[in-house]
Amino acid sequence: MASTAAVPFWRAAGMTYITYSNICANLVRNCLKEPLKAEALNREKVHFSLSKWAGGKPEKPILRSDTPGV
Amino acid sequence: MAMAVFRREGRRLLPSIAARPIAPIRSPLSSDQRRINLHLFCREEGPLGVRSISTQVVRNRMKSVKNIQKITKAMKMVAASKLRAVQGRAENSRGLWQPFTALLGDNPSIDVKKSVVVTLSSDKGLCGGINSTVVKVSRALYKLNAGPEKDVKFVIVGEKAKAIMFRDSKNDISLTVTELNKNPLNYAQVSVLADDILKNVEFDALRIVYNKFHSVVAFLPTVATVLSPEIIEKESEVGGKLGELDSYEIEGGETKGEILQNLAEFQFSCVMFNAVLENACSEMGARMSAMDSSSRNAGEMLDRLTLTYNRTRQASITTELIEIISGASALEAAK
Repeated sequence: MASTAAVPFWRAAGMTYITYSNICANLVRNCLKEPLKAEALNREKVHFSLSKWAGGKPEKPILRSDTPGV
Repeated sequence: MAMAVFRREGRRLLPSIAARPIAPIRSPLSSDQRRINLHLFCREEGPLGVRSISTQVVRNRMKSVKNIQKITKAMKMVAASKLRAVQGRAENSRGLWQPFTALLGDNPSIDVKKSVVVTLSSDKGLCGGINSTVVKVSRALYKLNAGPEKDVKFVIVGEKAKAIMFRDSKNDISLTVTELNKNPLNYAQVSVLADDILKNVEFDALRIVYNKFHSVVAFLPTVATVLSPEIIEKESEVGGKLGELDSYEIEGGETKGEILQNLAEFQFSCVMFNAVLENACSEMGARMSAMDSSSRNAGEMLDRLTLTYNRTRQASITTELIEIISGASALEAAK
């Protein structure tokens, strides 16, 4: 079949398939016309706070958000 | 004479009465008449030094129980409306992972070296027992999968499970996620979360523990298993459902390994999305029934308090009547 060295460009850049499909979806959303576009972008807002743990202790939490500081 | 009255009535005539001068009554009255006047004087004293038995304490309790009942009823309505909104989305999202299970099969009992248990719970409380059941299942999975050379780590979503698991499994926690419910749940959010988990945790099998929503009163803790692409390759050599993967024709320039990797990541993201929605539904349903039983309990408590209140009130009225009548008859007898 195809050679195993031909990974898609996005995987070579370190992205997972999920990130790749999200970027594509965002592109499609940005193609919408005005009122629907604002609604669609509003609908897909991201906000959560992640914290890694090491040895039973949480480290400083990372906030992944489109609206940081809110 | 007044002092004798005080002494006779004992503790019921408290310092507040003594502080108030009863000069108007120091006229040539008998002690009984004075007693009745004192009584009439101080009947409206309320909580301080009443002659009649106080109903204030019971009244306060009734007021607070009624307020609590109103609050829990309102919370139930809010949970019901939120449930209606999320339920449609959860049921529709089931179609996202069903093709994956049809293709790859479901292997909950697979034996792998590194398992990661993803526990989904809520951030807010007052939702019944759903968070503790999820934690129980997670701990059981840990016991099932731990052993020599085998490793189990926890990823915890939600404050409530974090608090419970912190107590005894804190060394096995690798990631915690909170504030997921700040914005309405959507796929973008869950996929970023899934991406973070994939990047930060090494796993052979991911077991997602959540409450599946069957109906407003029934939520079952469920485990969804997602395998990593390497394990899928290994299993497909063994045979069974995964062995049929080779019979599929692959288009384009990709190899089976790459497609499996993409599929595994996407499967994780879809399963997480469905799990998060179902968990949210179950949380709303559990909160509805918890608040409903709480309002009912408050109603029963209110009934019992009302009975006590009425009994106390009637007893005090009867005591007053007895005293007045006995005073009056004593007067007549004295005449």
